[in-house]
Amino acid sequence: MHPRTSLAVALLAVCGAAQAQQPAASHLANNLSMCAGCHGIPGYKTAYPEVYHVPKLGGQSPAYLVNALKAYRSGERLHPSMRGIAASLSDKDMEELAAYYGGNAK
Amino acid sequence: MSRLLAIAAALALAGTVQAAGNAAAGKSKAAQVCAACHGPEGNKPTAPENPVLAGQHRDYLVKALKDYKSGKRNNAVMKGFAAALSNRDIEDLAAWFAGQKSDLHFQR
Repeated sequence: MHPRTSLAVALLAVCGAAQAQQPAASHLANNLSMCAGCHGIPGYKTAYPEVYHVPKLGGQSPAYLVNALKAYRSGERLHPSMRGIAASLSDKDMEELAAYYGGNAK
Repeated sequence: MSRLLAIAAALALAGTVQAAGNAAAGKSKAAQVCAACHGPEGNKPTAPENPVLAGQHRDYLVKALKDYKSGKRNNAVMKGFAAALSNRDIEDLAAWFAGQKSDLHFQR
C-alpha cells in the first residue's frame, strides 16, 4: 500500500473509532415531557368511556416499566395514547425512562 | 315517594360501598393469590418484572385485573390468576393494595 494511502486509511479508522465512542444522545428530557402530559398531573384520569386514574410511576420496578412500554409498542397491550407514544421510543429510550421513574425515591 | 327515595338512596350507598371494595377481604385473598409474586402487601415483588402494587390507584388496579380477566391485557401468569377472581374479589384486592405503603408515588 502506498504510504499516503495507508495514512489516509489510518486516519479514517481513528475518526471512525472516535465517532463510535461518542455516546448516543439521550432523549430523556424530551421523552419525559410526553409522559408528564398525563402521568405528571396529580389525580389525572383517563377519558370516557373508561375512566380511571393513570398509574403512579415513581418508585415502580424499572423492569416492569420497560416491559409495559414494549408491550404497548408491539400492540400487545392496548391503549391508544400509550401505543402512539411507545411507538416513538427506542429500547434505550424506554430503559432511560424506566430508570428515571423507578430510580426516584419518594 | 319518600320511601322510594330512601330505597334508591340506600341502593346507591350500597353500590358505593361495594365499589370501594373491602380491604380486609382483599388482604386474605391477596395472601392466597398475589403474595407469592407481589408480596403480601404488594410492596415486595419477588422478581424485578413484577410491579409494585402497594399505593397504586385503586381504580387502576381494578382496571388492570379486569383487563387480565377479560383477556384484553394479555399475560400468561396474570390471566390464570385473574380468571379465578370474581368482580367482588377484584374490588377487594384493589382496596387492599391501594391502601398499603410502598415507594410507589406520584412522579412528575
